[in-house]
Amino acid sequence: MFLGIELPQIVLSAIYFALTLGVVLLMALFLVWWERKVSAHIQVRFGPMMTGKWHGWSQTLADALKLLQKEDIVPRAADKGVYFWAPVIVFGATMMTFVVIPWSPRFIAADLNVGILYIIAITTFTIISLLMAGWGSNNKYSLLGGMRSAAQIVSYEVPLTLSIMGVVLLAQSLSMQDIVADQNKFWNWNIIRQPLGFLVYLVAATAEVNRTPFDLPEAEQELVAGFNVEYSGMKFAMFFLAEFVNMFVVAAIATALFLGGWWGPFGNESLGWLWFVLKSMGVVFVLMWFRWTYPRLRVDHLMEFAWKWLLPLAFLNLLATGLIYNLVK
Amino acid sequence: MGMVKDFFSGIYNLVVGLFVTGKHLGRHAITLQYPKERWEMPERSRGVVVLLSDPETGELNCTACLLCMKACPTGAIIIDREKNPETKRWFPTKFVIDNTICAFCGLCEESCNFDAIKLTGKYEFSVFDQSELIYDMDRLAELGRDVKYTPRKKPAAKKAAEQKKPPAEGKKPDEKKEDTAEKKPEEKPDKIETNPAEKKEEKAEASDKKTEDQESRKPEEAKQGDLGLDKEEDKKESGN
Amino acid sequence: MDEKELHIGEHQEQDEQNPVARELHTEEFLVNMGPQHPSTHGVCRLLLTMDGEVIVKVEPYIGYLHRAIEKICENRIYNQITPFMDRFEYVSSMLADWVYALCVERIGQIEVSPRAEYLRVIFGELQRIASHLIYWGVFAMDLGAVTPFLYGLREREMIMDLFEETCGQRLTYNYIRIGGVSQDINPGFEQKCKKFTSYMCQVLEDYETLLNENPIFLSRTKNIGVAPPELSVAYGVSGPSLRASGVNWDIRKDDPYGYYEKFEFEIPQGKNYDTWDRYQARVIEMRESCKIIEQALDGLPEGDPTFKMRASFKLPEGEYYARIESSRGEMGCYIVSKGEKKPYRLKLRGSSFNNLMIIPEISKGLKIADLVAIFASYDIIMPEVDR
Repeated sequence: MFLGIELPQIVLSAIYFALTLGVVLLMALFLVWWERKVSAHIQVRFGPMMTGKWHGWSQTLADALKLLQKEDIVPRAADKGVYFWAPVIVFGATMMTFVVIPWSPRFIAADLNVGILYIIAITTFTIISLLMAGWGSNNKYSLLGGMRSAAQIVSYEVPLTLSIMGVVLLAQSLSMQDIVADQNKFWNWNIIRQPLGFLVYLVAATAEVNRTPFDLPEAEQELVAGFNVEYSGMKFAMFFLAEFVNMFVVAAIATALFLGGWWGPFGNESLGWLWFVLKSMGVVFVLMWFRWTYPRLRVDHLMEFAWKWLLPLAFLNLLATGLIYNLVK
Repeated sequence: MGMVKDFFSGIYNLVVGLFVTGKHLGRHAITLQYPKERWEMPERSRGVVVLLSDPETGELNCTACLLCMKACPTGAIIIDREKNPETKRWFPTKFVIDNTICAFCGLCEESCNFDAIKLTGKYEFSVFDQSELIYDMDRLAELGRDVKYTPRKKPAAKKAAEQKKPPAEGKKPDEKKEDTAEKKPEEKPDKIETNPAEKKEEKAEASDKKTEDQESRKPEEAKQGDLGLDKEEDKKESGN
Repeated sequence: MDEKELHIGEHQEQDEQNPVARELHTEEFLVNMGPQHPSTHGVCRLLLTMDGEVIVKVEPYIGYLHRAIEKICENRIYNQITPFMDRFEYVSSMLADWVYALCVERIGQIEVSPRAEYLRVIFGELQRIASHLIYWGVFAMDLGAVTPFLYGLREREMIMDLFEETCGQRLTYNYIRIGGVSQDINPGFEQKCKKFTSYMCQVLEDYETLLNENPIFLSRTKNIGVAPPELSVAYGVSGPSLRASGVNWDIRKDDPYGYYEKFEFEIPQGKNYDTWDRYQARVIEMRESCKIIEQALDGLPEGDPTFKMRASFKLPEGEYYARIESSRGEMGCYIVSKGEKKPYRLKLRGSSFNNLMIIPEISKGLKIADLVAIFASYDIIMPEVDR
């Protein structure tokens, strides 16, 4: 059902996806503005105030327009094809994750029965694109950034997946809607049932989207701008928007898996999409808060942390969940 | 156990760090919205150099003694002068300050004995063309028109003033404080956008007050300005 | 440290034995860090020889900010040199003014009034706090936390306000002159200054909660860039960086100038000689400076601190050196006078120059991120290196 007209599933899915895409792009613009505001207020300043009168609301719009107009500079020594496709892939991969985000009980582009597997598979594309950007730019800083990001994302993918497995175990399903439906009461939210899992997920997800304290691939003070140092204009904008959309994606997944998705705090189903967006924004805010508080990890500490701390913790969580689940059952 | 303790203390300290930054979220920003609001510049602020003129006659105070030109460490001041055949006094025919090399050190103001040159609190003078930064005499005089200053008394008048009221040490600072306190409300940054006519009136009022205040302050100023020996020595040199 | 032991030569030996590694052998590569790089604090160029993320060799290339200040000073009469001292070291220009004034006063045997000496101590210590605040912020920023930089600058602005109301400028003060200071303080300055020092002590606690216990910050600083005392002395490192290396050397105590003998303060010393100690030495020094300022404000004598020097004067023939403890270390001024109105030769000693030279020695075998931390921890200011 869409606006009272009976439509085949494929058309419905397409409409949902198009809507999601539009909303998400707007949201990315909003997130960029919001990040600037949050950082500004943490740092006792105003942030953008001029563009668009009210608290500079249209600043990102103006920035995007400016970036669109800019000259597209391609370094002479760059590998042209690789250099060109990297931002396209990162942007495309990021958008594709939205297929299985459950905005409300009805509003989901495709409720795949392997939704979580799909997300994990798709987010892996990001590594490829960052590596491509690092390699294709033919710049040493970019290369270091690309290598760092590959090592980092591969390492953090493992605890991330394992932390999600606990949730899957509880819901007995890989479908996003089933998992959300499972958390019908406040005390059934997976953050209550799986606090350790949530913690591991949050940390691993922060690393996954290259946010401080895990922003090594673009470590400004070490690698200037990391993998995107040679990018300018719209290509840079695509990387930049993808970063923010990615941040929203991990927040949305956290909401769906751990924070009760579209369920209201009193077990109400009404206004599901609003609750979903609000909770996701809450998680995004926490990620921003992290960024403007913590220093950056060093590259070997990062690996150590993933393999020596997060992975055992994720295993522990999975083991405990399995044991308790079987005992209770 | 140590490892577990480290783990929890680590998490605790990370959370404490979050609260330190979180505390600032609610605070009001300390920055200003620049073109709309401006800081009030302190009285001693060393910004653009201006030439002062007599508020009554409108003539420049400069006597073309070349002291500032000699004091300038960067050579930013260029003066040409002529002698008035009637009064037998020097006057500047050309007075140029090159703001591209001016260091705003204030040595010219300190060397001047005639209230002719002053560094003011004005600071917005960026231009698109570098050559526009070289200010000539008219420009400098124009900039100095609305600058208030405490005129030094001429030697004859100084004696009279001293007889009237002996200079009291340490009183001057208090008066100065009152003076600035009076001025402050009128120079509030948010008033900058009020209409120009109103602003001029305010300024006129302020300058009236200022001159009244200055009457009582003159003796000390005159005393401070007494640099007899240096002045004469340098004058001899500049004559060559 | 594991990384330290891994030397590139060993890698290659292993590679030759291992057939897979022989196929995929690694190479060292050069990275130009700077002259335009966010964390070289201006225009320092470090030529890094890297093996992946590991640094094999660091070569600093300096001279990008050379302005020939010493030569310029040789062509100016003594009174005109002070403004150039502000530019010699613009992060703590008050102290640069002081060292020059001190040198000329010692040559000319010019008496400085007690009030001027007290004011010099107050402003010098305020300047030290301001400089360390920048250090604190920049150090945290180079480790990836941007917010402390803004906090540090916020507090520094308050010091700048105090300076501006007294001498009229926020960066190039031209305040400490030969024989005294340029102007007396405004009424009400003492109260403002006291308010600031008490506020500063309070803020420092905030700073410490934000960073000092943060496990990420600790892992980035502890046992990184260890500079043993012998090495530091051999390279001529001075200031807080030297004291962090466990050497008790502070010119304010060991070769007192001004009225520093009259004040009580402690000198922090490091135990592990690492980046963390260098950071901590400066944070503690800020507290000590607050103490000195409070003592000086309490004992501020009456009188006229200004001194009008004749526009041009001659200094007796000879060679003179004066040094002070600047916020980065020993700042010196060496004047050769031939009995003329202008110095025959004027040489400035900037501590950053020596502090920079030890960095290649202690950063071998570390990661590029550690190099950034070490560079920031030594508080290198390029104008002082190149002059």
